[in-house]
This record gives sequence, structure tokens and C-alpha cells, in this order.
Amino acid sequence: MAEPILEVRNISKSYAGVQALRDVSMSVAPGEVRCLVGENGSGKSTLIKTIGGAVVADAGEIVIGGTSFGSSVHPVEAIRHGIQIIYQDLSLFPNLSVAENISLNGMIEQSRRLANWKEMRRIAQDTLDQLDENIDVDMPLDHCSMAQRQIVAISRALTQGAKLIIMDEPTSAITAEDVSRLFKTVRQLNAQGVAMVFVSHKLDEVFEIADTVTVLRDGQKVGDYPAQELDEDKLTFLMSGQNLEFKPFTFDPEAEGAPLLLETRALSLRDQFSDVDLKIYGGEVVGLTGLVGSGRTELALSLFGLNPADHGEILVDGKPVKITGPQDAKRYGISYLPEDRHGQGLFEDQTIADNVVVTVIDRLREFLGLVDNRKREGVWRQWIERLRVKTPSAQNMVSTLSGGNQQRVVLAKWLAPEPRVFILDGPTIGVDVVSKARIHDVVQELARSGIGVLVISDEVTEIMQVCSRALVMQEGRIVAEFKDLQSVDGSEISKVIAREENAEVVS
Amino acid sequence: MIDVNKTGRKLLQRHETYLVLLILVFSAIIANASDAFLTSGNLLSVLRGGSGIGILAVAFFVALIGGGIDISFPAIAISGQYIAIRTMLALQLDSIGIAFLISITVGIVFGLINAFFITRFRIQAMIVTLATSSLFHGALLEFVGTDSVNVGRLPTSITDFGRMTVFQFQTAEGPQGLSIFVGILAVVVLATWFLLQHTMLGRGIYAIGGDAEGAKRAGFNVTRIQYFIFGYVGFLSGIMGIIHVALIRYAHPANIVGDNTLLRVIAAVILGGTSITGGRGTLTGTMLGVLLIVLVDRHLIMLGVPPAWTNFFVGVVIVVGVVATHLRMKFEKHRRGELTVERAH
Repeated sequence: MAEPILEVRNISKSYAGVQALRDVSMSVAPGEVRCLVGENGSGKSTLIKTIGGAVVADAGEIVIGGTSFGSSVHPVEAIRHGIQIIYQDLSLFPNLSVAENISLNGMIEQSRRLANWKEMRRIAQDTLDQLDENIDVDMPLDHCSMAQRQIVAISRALTQGAKLIIMDEPTSAITAEDVSRLFKTVRQLNAQGVAMVFVSHKLDEVFEIADTVTVLRDGQKVGDYPAQELDEDKLTFLMSGQNLEFKPFTFDPEAEGAPLLLETRALSLRDQFSDVDLKIYGGEVVGLTGLVGSGRTELALSLFGLNPADHGEILVDGKPVKITGPQDAKRYGISYLPEDRHGQGLFEDQTIADNVVVTVIDRLREFLGLVDNRKREGVWRQWIERLRVKTPSAQNMVSTLSGGNQQRVVLAKWLAPEPRVFILDGPTIGVDVVSKARIHDVVQELARSGIGVLVISDEVTEIMQVCSRALVMQEGRIVAEFKDLQSVDGSEISKVIAREENAEVVS
Repeated sequence: MIDVNKTGRKLLQRHETYLVLLILVFSAIIANASDAFLTSGNLLSVLRGGSGIGILAVAFFVALIGGGIDISFPAIAISGQYIAIRTMLALQLDSIGIAFLISITVGIVFGLINAFFITRFRIQAMIVTLATSSLFHGALLEFVGTDSVNVGRLPTSITDFGRMTVFQFQTAEGPQGLSIFVGILAVVVLATWFLLQHTMLGRGIYAIGGDAEGAKRAGFNVTRIQYFIFGYVGFLSGIMGIIHVALIRYAHPANIVGDNTLLRVIAAVILGGTSITGGRGTLTGTMLGVLLIVLVDRHLIMLGVPPAWTNFFVGVVIVVGVVATHLRMKFEKHRRGELTVERAH
């Protein structure tokens, strides 16, 4: 075997008493694709930051291309020795051109004084050609799609002589089609001897691209496994240390005599969706899926009053109501869990407890309008326990939590008002399998308690696992309904979403 | 080979195109109302009178591209000017070179003081420069004085400088020339353009305005670049200070800070299409913005608008221009297919 391009030996790191990494070793060979998997908080980020020099380990050794750097490597040294880390935000400049984004870093490293545009364009063009990518190098980066931006980030890494590129969750922000393009690029790079490390949550992708899978759990390495020897159940078990069971959910509102909680009749909003007839019964989990731009999120926002419809009716308990703002929606018992939990879901620099109670603050007031602290504590205790938020103290800032735990706090926040209809938009985006399974359990438990749940998701498997009934949107209309998800195959739904089948499907 | 269609479409996407149209429409209206507008004397005077604002606009533009709103340039310009004039009078020095040397030195020192607070304590440039504006101007009044210096007492090198031209020609109205102020503005614009477009320092300024954290990760020395940016603002403000006194032939420590200079400069740069959040904008746009503001400012009176209403109409132009820019950007985004659902907070 060739000499490894990177070796980390017995790395340990703790933050404020929490052991983030314990005695972790890993070795990556040239031209290899390695996947680094683990639950949120298992130490993946800490490990890649240690390799890139952004975090200083407490103990251990980092060896890059045969050169030992002791327990910590300076970021510039890591780059000089061919290590490139592409974080999720990509660190690109939206206001500069593709050419500049690709070639600036290399020019800075050479301490250039003048910006040679011809040379920058040529370097960018050559690198893109090498990857068989056709992107206009003069285009401003903010005109590029997410997938193109990733290619730009990879190209930039290559111009700096990358021998190992580490990508942090590269597939969570791009479509399935773009993922396969990205993988094609990755294979090309491997053929040229460049090694890749993927940090990923999505197991099916891990199997598609990886040679070897390194699993971390609670800061310790579980082991390295050849990808062919693993399947989803096995990997899930390795990551979580337990077997997760997938429990399908069935519910027939008519047979159960369930109450009709929310109904829309010919609900429309110009340019976004039209003639939407939707029914949500107490006790069911309705899935709503469709491509980005099909109108699903816009529809959900309308039901919550953030994007009021201009035609049609909304009925709550059979009575027509007007919902023109979130306050109306709240009054009628409708809660909405937003897609973008950082932007809309959480106050990250406030405590976990405050985030949970913010939606019910009106109810916690005693006379004089002050907040009753005992009631307040009752609310957050109840929800933190019910949703099993993992934290030493509810008085910690939300930003100290891992992604999966943050998502549970968002859930708690919107469940605290005790809604009757709960809309979840992309509830498991960016969370690992284990957290995902727990969130699915919570959703089904909510439905069993009589709440009507609407889940919006891109993933057909998620819809199949968590919902009892599913709707598909296309260009602003509901085009198909699957009444009994146990009797359909996921691929049928995928076909309707991709518009390969265009009929009014009712099963 | 030039694809006419493609070139046309690109032109329509450019902010500058609309500014040129706006300037032409406005000029046509004034020309129609008054014969005095389209005379070489008037146009040369517009350029001469607008050069100072133009230099300050370049300064504000550079800071804004780097992501900082520097509003201390009026205080710096008047400090440089007044300290230079009083020093020259006190020491009996009469040379335009010395005037510029003193004013520019004061400007750079004050700019670096801004940079110190901005980089050392990581405070927003607008907050720092709001405070230092008051500090610089207060110190000027306290330590240098409050006397006005009128044309009789001004060093003759200053008044001579005000009459210098870079280019003369004969007209029916007699000999005329392009003021040296315009020449200086042209040099400043060209040098700044070269700096921003063709040096790594300039690309660093754009990079910081796009994403300061990213610029740091890419290897730019963000602190050093910020020292440069605010030092450069001070440098240009120092130049403008001397041009201003040579133009109005009267030095008083309340000049520049006491009139509408700050507002006019900010308006010109924003109208020019520079993003208030940094990283985006062109010098061409900025210069067109300056031209529009200066034209409106000086010629409303030819349209019969009473002087007391001038501010009001400049305000109208700013509001219309800024709203139009915003709508155009939104339309562009929509065309690119980005979700435009307005979300409540």
C-alpha cells in the first residue's frame, strides 16, 4: 500500500470537561474515498477541524504526507502539505467572479501585489476543464447554483495543490441529480490520486461513493469498515449502538371517526399555488411532498398566516376562518415548524428554556403582567423531558447544542402552545439517522394523542416511514394522493414527483 | 464579432445605463427651461464645483466596498484644510505643495485613528466614525480656533491654485479652461480604479466587503487592509479640504461639516448603485451618481424651484433613485428564480 497521505494517531480533545474526541486514529491513502459518519455530537467536526488546524488537540499526533506535526498543525502548514477542508458554508465570496473565487487563495499565498485577471481566468478555466465542468468563469458567484458553488470550492482547493479534500456534508444542500454529478467529479479526482474525506449523514450516499467508512460514536472510533460489507441497518447500529426499528404508521380517519380539524377549499395564491383542497384529520400524519418550487412550503406558510392566500377558504372545525398572520394561526391551534431552523426557528444566543417558553409567554403571566417563574419552569421541564433534549442544563445557550438537539428544542417550542394542527417543514434536514428516528417517533406519538400533523419533506423514504397518507404537489397544485402508504411502493411516489407520471393518482 | 443582442441585454442589466438615461432626461428638461444650461461656461463650472464632492464620493465608496460606513470624511476634510491654512498663516508659508502636505498628513493620521478603533476593538465603522467625527471637529475648534479666514487673508498660493486650469480654449464668451480640480478628480478616479481592479489589495477590499471571515480564511491580512481603507479615506479627504478652500476662497472650521456635504456624498454613492452592505458597486456608477446629484443641486433654480426647496427635491431624487434600485435588484433575483416569499419576523 502506498504511503498514507494523512495519518492521525491517538487524538484526544476535550472542551470544558466534555470529551469530544478520545484516542481517535485514522489513516487515508492517496486516491481513496473515505466517509466519516457518526451521530450529531459524535466528534466528526472536531476531528476534521483538528486535521485542518482550526482546533488544537490535547494529545496525539498528526502526520501529513510523512511529516509529523505533533498534536497540532498550523492551518497554513496543513494547506501547504495538501490538506483542504471545504466547510458547509464553502467560504466563497458571493460578490466576486467564479475566476477570482477559484484563483485568489493561490495568488495570496504567492504574495502577489497585482491582480492578473488573464492569469486568474486561465487558472480557473484550466481547473474547471480538468473537472469537465462548464461554468462561465466571469459569472458572479451569486448567480451560481449551490452545486456550481461546490465545484468552485473544489476547484479552488485543487489550485492550491490539494492532495486530500475534506468535505463537510456536501450533499445536504443540493439535489439528487447534482449529487451524482458531484460524485462523478470525485471519482475523476480519485483517478488523479486526490483523496477525499466526506462527512455525511446520508447513508445511501455513503454506500454509493465510499471505499471505506470510518464510524465515530461519542468521541471514540468504532472502526473502519469496507463499504461493501455494510448495509444501512448495520451502519445505523454502529453509529447508535442500538437497533432502530422502523414502525410504519397507519390511520384511517373514516374508520376511526376522527374529527376534521383543518380544511382548505380551492385555496390559491397568485404565482405560488392554486385550487388546493386539503383535509387534515385529528390523529393522522399527512405527508406533503414535491420538488422545490412546487408550492409546498408556500402553502404551509399560508396555513400559518405568513404568506396569506388570496383566494379560497380555510376552515377550522368546519367553520370558515381568516388567517392573515401567525397570531391568527396560533389562536386556531395551528403551529408551524420552519424549514430553516437557524433563521426562523431559534434564538441561538438565548437559553434553551427561554426558547421553549417563548411561544406560550402570554399564558405564563400572572397579575401585573410578570412571568410566573414556577409555571415557566413547568413548561420547559415537561418538554425537555418529553423530547429528551440532551443537555447538562436548560439554562445553557441553544447554540451549545448539536444539530439534532437543536431540532428537538424547535419542536418543543412549537409544541408548548399545545397545537391541534402541527405543520413540520423539513423536520429532519441536517440531522443524523438516530435523531431522525427519534423525531419520527415524536411525530407519531403526537398524532396518537389526537393532533393532526402535516409533514413536508423531500425524501420519499421519510414520507413512507412517518406518514399515514401522502399528497404530491406539482407547479402549485396537488396532483396525487396516496391514501394508504402501506400498499404503495416508494418509487411510485418518486415518479409522480419527477412528473414521469402525471395522472390524478388515488390509491 | 459583437453580438448586438447580447450586448444590449447586458447594457439593460447594468445600473449605470439607467443613471445615464436619468441624467440625460434631467439635462434635457433643464436645457429646455433655460438657455444658460448648455453653455461651456456653465458646464465647466458644474465640473469644477462638483470635483470636491466627487473625491469624497470616491473615499466613501472605497470604505463601503470594504464593508464599512465611514462618515467622518467631512470632519477630516475640514480639519486638514483649516489646520493647513492656519499653519501657513502662522509660519508665513505660502506654497500649495505645503498646503496639500499638511492637509493630507492630518487626513491620513485621522483615518488611521479610525482604523485603530475599528480593528482593535472590532467596532462597526459607522459607530466609530460617528464618535471620531465629533472628536476631530471638537478638537479642531478647541485647539486650532474658530476664526474665519477670508479671501484677503488667504495665502495667495491657494487663490492662484483655484484659478489653475489643465486645458484652455477660446469661446465666444472669451477664454475658458477646465479647472485643475477636475484633473485631480480624474487622477484620483483612475488611481482608485487601478487599485481596486488590478491590485491584490483592491481585490482584498472587495473580498472583505463580501465576507470578512472568508477573506481572513483565504489568507488576506484583514487588519492591514482595513488600516489602508480608512487611511485612504483620510488621504482623499485631505485633498478635498484644500480643493474646497481654493474653490470658495474662504476658510472656516464649520465649513463642510456644517452644510449638506455628508448627505450629498452618501446619496451620490448609493444612487450610483453601491450596496450599503458592502462588496458590490462600481466607480463609474459612483461618478454618475455624483454628476446627477450635482446637476440637480445646482440647476433646480433654473426650473423655477425656490432655493429653499432644493433640499426637498434632492431628497425626492434620492428616495426615487434608491427605491428604483431596490425594485430592480428584486426583479433581477426574481428572474433568476429565487424564492421571493416575504416572510414575517
